[in-house]
Amino acid sequence: MTFDRNARAALADGQLRSALRQATTLFGERRREALATAPDWEGARNRARAIKDETLLHLDRYLEEFSANAERAGARVHWARDAAEACEVIGRIAEQRGARTVVKSKSMTSEEIHLNAALAARGIEPVETDLGEYIVQLAGEAPSHIVAPAIHKTRRQIGALFADKLGIEPSDDVAKLAAAARRALRRRFAEADLGVSGVNFAVAETGTILILENEGNARLTTSLPRTHIALMGIEKVIPRFADLEVFLQLLPRSGTGQVLTAYQSLLTGAKRRPEDEGPAELHIVLLDNGRSGMLAAPVTRQSLACIRCGACLNACPVYRQIGGHAYGSVYPGPIGAVLTPQLFGLGRSSELPYASSLCGACRDVCPVKIDIPALLLHLRAEVVATRAGKPRLLERLAFSAYAAVMARPRLFESVVRLARMLRVMLPLGAWTKWRDLRPLAPRSFREEWRTRLRHEVAR
Amino acid sequence: MIRTADARREILRAIRESLAESAAGGGAAREGPVEPRAAGPGSAVGSTGSADPGAKPRGSTGPAAGASKDVVSSFTERLAAVGAQCTVVRGEAAAAHALADILTDAAARRVVGSDAPLVQRLLSALGDGFVRERLEGLSRDGLFACDAGVTTAQWGIAETGTLVLESAREKNRLLSLVPPIHVALLSSTCLCDSLGDALARMSRASHAITLITGPSRTSDIELTLVVGVHGPQVVHVLLLEEEP
Repeated sequence: MTFDRNARAALADGQLRSALRQATTLFGERRREALATAPDWEGARNRARAIKDETLLHLDRYLEEFSANAERAGARVHWARDAAEACEVIGRIAEQRGARTVVKSKSMTSEEIHLNAALAARGIEPVETDLGEYIVQLAGEAPSHIVAPAIHKTRRQIGALFADKLGIEPSDDVAKLAAAARRALRRRFAEADLGVSGVNFAVAETGTILILENEGNARLTTSLPRTHIALMGIEKVIPRFADLEVFLQLLPRSGTGQVLTAYQSLLTGAKRRPEDEGPAELHIVLLDNGRSGMLAAPVTRQSLACIRCGACLNACPVYRQIGGHAYGSVYPGPIGAVLTPQLFGLGRSSELPYASSLCGACRDVCPVKIDIPALLLHLRAEVVATRAGKPRLLERLAFSAYAAVMARPRLFESVVRLARMLRVMLPLGAWTKWRDLRPLAPRSFREEWRTRLRHEVAR
Repeated sequence: MIRTADARREILRAIRESLAESAAGGGAAREGPVEPRAAGPGSAVGSTGSADPGAKPRGSTGPAAGASKDVVSSFTERLAAVGAQCTVVRGEAAAAHALADILTDAAARRVVGSDAPLVQRLLSALGDGFVRERLEGLSRDGLFACDAGVTTAQWGIAETGTLVLESAREKNRLLSLVPPIHVALLSSTCLCDSLGDALARMSRASHAITLITGPSRTSDIELTLVVGVHGPQVVHVLLLEEEP
């Protein structure tokens, strides 16, 4: 019952809810304004989805093509079946290079594999450099939003945190807080031997990886240290360099409501000559961690089209009330509710497919048209079929009885008549606790129909 | 070492098995191999079979269409919208003057320029009152102490107000990022209409291509905009029109 408990706690937290309300509303408004500047939004969504579908149907070949082209350009490509393997690969590279600190730019995939804990266990200090991630790391918390990790915190809380951890004057001036983080992180960048980043898109045709950001910390992470490790899920690959256009139209507008984020770094291999700028080594880690299994059916396969924009979080009436931490997963919100059970198993997240009213707002805003409600229903069916959830004997009995009655018109009518006569309302417990059950009409539609039809015929 | 060869083989096998299972289950059929597309300039994004009759055809992909008034004005408008400055100059002498003015106005003393000949010429024309650092041999701390970095940009994108910097052309990665002020020299003949246009023209020989749209920014605290968080607070484009 973790989700249920977390959600209740979140609902009782007034400060959290007001921070969430402000942030998700603002995100929604900015997104709508940015959409207005797109020449053909629906067309772009369709093209992007078609590109993703094509890629996923031939993912093996596109990965091989990407890997070959990246290595030809001087990158080393590593393959990792699961989180432990990915952490092992990255940890070993860091150890072999004698790295003591690792600067990191924002990467949800690195959160997914809990890379920071794995590095710390080897005595290597990971330093998050995205402002939001840095705040969350200083606070010893986890990100609560895919795009804005510290969305759950107010400026006052962050001011107090910086005063405590960085020794600055307490302040709730956002510019001062950002400047304090810049100063503190410049020192870390100056001494870092290794940078770890995520990847937004990987181009098979050229072996290029693309990283989007606004702050410049990803550029510092990928150009100052001698070694750069880029971690990506295997679903990040797209076929052609020219395909970047449509994704660059969709992702910033959906994510932050920008026409384009401040920076895109397109990196193809390591530097060519010693006198060039940039890292001498580029390692790319391709992570499966449950993704290949999602290819087995079209309904689950579409989860891999996700470009991690976070628009579904801002649109979701559930997320807007409870925030990201309640989901108990690195991937929160509607997309998290479908990714988490598929990546980590239904066993520990059997409640998540139910953490939705199925209103469909997530599907409407999704830039790659993932049918999240359909996925939620699919996963609910799986929870029932595998009995991953808590045993619900009464519920199962009720649904079998319901099925039996609904399939037999005569039986249905007598049940309704009986219920009306006895004026009973079924005790539906949890169902009616949050929903109104309307009283039965004095006469049913079918009865009414029959009487009127008789009159018609008599006339 | 991790047997990454094993991991590779197993991941690819798992992918193939899942896709075969999907195809057997009546999922989308997996037809013959996809021809590796020659995605050269002008290959449309919509070429994946997604029906999109309304797709806009790409703009011209020949040599940059050049400095039509429209492209220049939409580029400068977009620059302003994303919080970048722009000065349009005609000829190198005017550019040198403008550069000195920009640096003086921003109270920049320590200036470091890229190895591009144009940048070197403009910097050597700067009067006294500036400390000119050389990128070669500059330590990280030395670089962090610079007030302004001067580079060229290879392309500009009118639709978005974006600068495109290619690593194959000059050492521009750190100079356009670390100092609080970045001045970028761009020829107006290198303006592209759209992002798609620019993608088609970019040099694939560069191991790093950087797209820059305005100054560094963050909204991570209460979605309040702060400019100049890890990168420059000021991005100033010196747009050079050809001398008549």
